[in-house]
Amino acid sequence: MERRNFLKALAASAAAALVPEAARSARNQPSLRYLRPPGALPEEAFLSRCINCGQCGEACPNRCIKYFGFENGLNSIDTPYIIPREKGCILCMKCGDVCPTGAIQPVERTAEAILDGVKMGRARVDESLCLSFQGKTCGVCYRACPLPDVAIYVGRLEQPHVTDECVGCGLCERSCIQMPQAIRVIPSYG
Amino acid sequence: MSSSRHIPFFLWRHLNKLRWIVLSIVFAMLVLLPFLHVYQTYRAAHAYDLLSPSERQLYDVMEALSAPFTDDPTEDLDAVKGNTWSGTFWGLKLSDPLAALGQAAAGHTLYWPFLLTAFIPIAVTAVFGRIFCGWLCPATFLYELNTNFAAWLSWAGLKIGDRHFDKRLKYAVLGLGLVLSAVSGSVMVAAVYPPAIIGREIYYAIALGGFGAGTVFFVGTLLFDLLVARRGFCRYLCPGGALYSLIGRYRVVRIRRIVENCNDCAKCNAVCEFDLDPLRDGFGQECNNCTACIAVCPTDAMTFTLRPTDHPAQGPGHLGRRYRDEQEAEHEPLANGNGVA
Repeated sequence: MERRNFLKALAASAAAALVPEAARSARNQPSLRYLRPPGALPEEAFLSRCINCGQCGEACPNRCIKYFGFENGLNSIDTPYIIPREKGCILCMKCGDVCPTGAIQPVERTAEAILDGVKMGRARVDESLCLSFQGKTCGVCYRACPLPDVAIYVGRLEQPHVTDECVGCGLCERSCIQMPQAIRVIPSYG
Repeated sequence: MSSSRHIPFFLWRHLNKLRWIVLSIVFAMLVLLPFLHVYQTYRAAHAYDLLSPSERQLYDVMEALSAPFTDDPTEDLDAVKGNTWSGTFWGLKLSDPLAALGQAAAGHTLYWPFLLTAFIPIAVTAVFGRIFCGWLCPATFLYELNTNFAAWLSWAGLKIGDRHFDKRLKYAVLGLGLVLSAVSGSVMVAAVYPPAIIGREIYYAIALGGFGAGTVFFVGTLLFDLLVARRGFCRYLCPGGALYSLIGRYRVVRIRRIVENCNDCAKCNAVCEFDLDPLRDGFGQECNNCTACIAVCPTDAMTFTLRPTDHPAQGPGHLGRRYRDEQEAEHEPLANGNGVA
């Protein structure tokens, strides 16, 4: 009986891995928060374009691009991702230049082009954790931001406010001195 | 007749050595490029003073290697990136035909900017056949070393795998991989194609600090080759090899047996990694022009030819015993009738 249940579970997970609908719902579970490289297509199109060649990681001068194993489902094996708390993207835009399939679209390295073409996510401040909102003037995230006063601005006591212009590079999350981090990038896979 | 024997161009039998050099260079580049990339990242971060002693050693070695060729490593070393699955060479992007086909299957559309990157490999394959498998593939480098290792093991008296399967299996694997790619919407063939696996796993190991799942798969194929069938993955299962075979079916550059020089020793069949039948003129679409049979032939009976199909079967070699017996059987009655004997 036990073995039968085990086999059932095995078959179910295999089916979930193979059937795209099930895989898609599994992928959207919030347990794993990762970013795709800057300029990446929406998740589904990205997966159908990416051939797992690894050139984006090889071009990345910041070595922030890593590659999935099995942890994000079979479809995501060997596809690139960024964990912003470990290392943010410095928006050098080299990965888009080197990508042969356009899974990561080439974006020129200017503020306008980046604001226009990059949407990895959007940072969100947790005011209950943020030091500046506790009266301890900090402002580190603001100073780490490559688009200061555009994507993020600070008010009284260096309290950070993220705007809709934020491209989600994750440098603020990387630099946050609070533990756990008070600012996080909420990925947009669309 | 033997005085007018056609001797093939003397360099052909040395091509096998050149092939090993090329294979070694490709593999060495796959190891060197990740190191150069790591060096670039150290440069970009101006991190020399912060490096650990081993990292500093890497930095120094890579600096010494690249210094003669570049003043600005962080930019100039971007010229060569990637691996045999898909790479960038001074702005020229080249991709494996299987990558193009797999991506087209996964995306359900033809994305021409990418498909065109496979054009040069396809054109070369159409002329030279499955040449990637024999001359460039980084997995071939390891698989052939594995074959030699198996030969040592069998000399030592251990039993190694020598099963034979239907070579058409790999076309089924190719079809299945494309169907799975189309259904799942991601390029599944990349996960079971050894050269693609090796290219990225070497990068993972050097730059990201550890091998991934692909290494387990690749070691599995090595064990399969060792314990089940010699060079079994390439012969029977490789989807990329299947695609290259199909593209190179009517290749122009082929190997041909010179029947006048052949003595039926069958060394060519023994040395052929792909289980072909050079002894009976059976090369077919799966020959990768590796030239091992040319190199091993003791009587110079193997050469190149330019024709889109194999030479029709030529019968036993003229230096062999079977041919001599046949000739004698034919001439015996004649000789008796003339009363010469």
